[in-house]
Amino acid sequence: MTHLTMDQLLALDEPGLEPGAAQARAHLHECAACRAEYEQLRQRQARLRALPTLRPARDQWPAVARRVAAERRRRLVQRAVAAISAVAALLLLAVALRSAAPASDVEGLAAERQLADLMERSRALEAAIGAARPDQRVVDGRTIGVATDLESRIADLDRMLEVQELDAPPGRGEMQRVQLWRERVGLLNALVDVHVTNARNVGL
Amino acid sequence: MESYPLANAESVVARARSGDPAAFEALYRAFESPVYNLARRICRTTEDAEDVLQETFFEVCRSIGQFRAEGSLWGWIRTITASKALMRLRRNKYRDADELPDEVPSVKREDTALRMDLEAALERLGETSRAVVWLHDVEGYTHEEIAGMMGKTASFSKSQLARAHVRLRRWLGEESAS
Repeated sequence: MTHLTMDQLLALDEPGLEPGAAQARAHLHECAACRAEYEQLRQRQARLRALPTLRPARDQWPAVARRVAAERRRRLVQRAVAAISAVAALLLLAVALRSAAPASDVEGLAAERQLADLMERSRALEAAIGAARPDQRVVDGRTIGVATDLESRIADLDRMLEVQELDAPPGRGEMQRVQLWRERVGLLNALVDVHVTNARNVGL
Repeated sequence: MESYPLANAESVVARARSGDPAAFEALYRAFESPVYNLARRICRTTEDAEDVLQETFFEVCRSIGQFRAEGSLWGWIRTITASKALMRLRRNKYRDADELPDEVPSVKREDTALRMDLEAALERLGETSRAVVWLHDVEGYTHEEIAGMMGKTASFSKSQLARAHVRLRRWLGEESAS
């Protein structure tokens, strides 16, 4: 038998029985040159494993954190758009039903106007945050933390609004909806402060 | 298989799943070095490796909910890293033909420090060969796993490994007389 090829030497360490493995092992047992070659291969592999761990020259976490925060914002906006669309559709339905019925509920109409006003303010604030382009700004870790916390609370509110919309049929629960939307506007105001004010301070 | 300890790993993962930014950063700090090392050993440039580092942790933060707690956290992160690095290779369309020719003079062991010899020889390999060598010999992936990540066959992985070792042996001045 001729000397073992590199393929055959490497196959000696593979799990399972490769074709011709028994014959290759028998040759290795008899051939000093192949044993030396095999030992050299194993030493080379051990030296590869012993190479030092390479480390990045710069801290990449701030860039990762910005991308993660931008992704959260994107998901938040998606949820908000879906929630606003659902509420708007339900409001339209409520108005349609109310116009068919006697206009006896003055309080309900006032709540609807407040809701429409709050939703409009919500949209304007989200537009202001979008215009500040926070995902393209350099911010410190504390700012990211505050912004992320506010975004989480807004997301919680959106979930509550969705549940509320499902539980309360049109024409009922307006005051609770008004209260939730009021809180949402308050949180968005705070988020605008974080992003827009921070941008002005940093001068970016 | 090498493992990287993370204090309170279960708690960190649980907090990361709930979106806690501090937990995300804890994951990054714990696995930054091994992820970068793997990326750098596969990619041609430090810039590509840094991009892979960022893409890997962005994916980790986004997909931590899909991590199965009974598995190895490092194993999960490592597979994401390897996939991202191999994707980067495909995107850059580096060819093995870009590598330096085989005819580079063999470096005698006595001339340079042994480690530098091996580092230089590894760098000299084509990208695909180097990736296969690192994934198989250092990270411990099987040829079937490497083939799956590269979209090739196990035979392709085996032949790349054998070809790479023949070259490493020559470049390191380890050619036998036989």
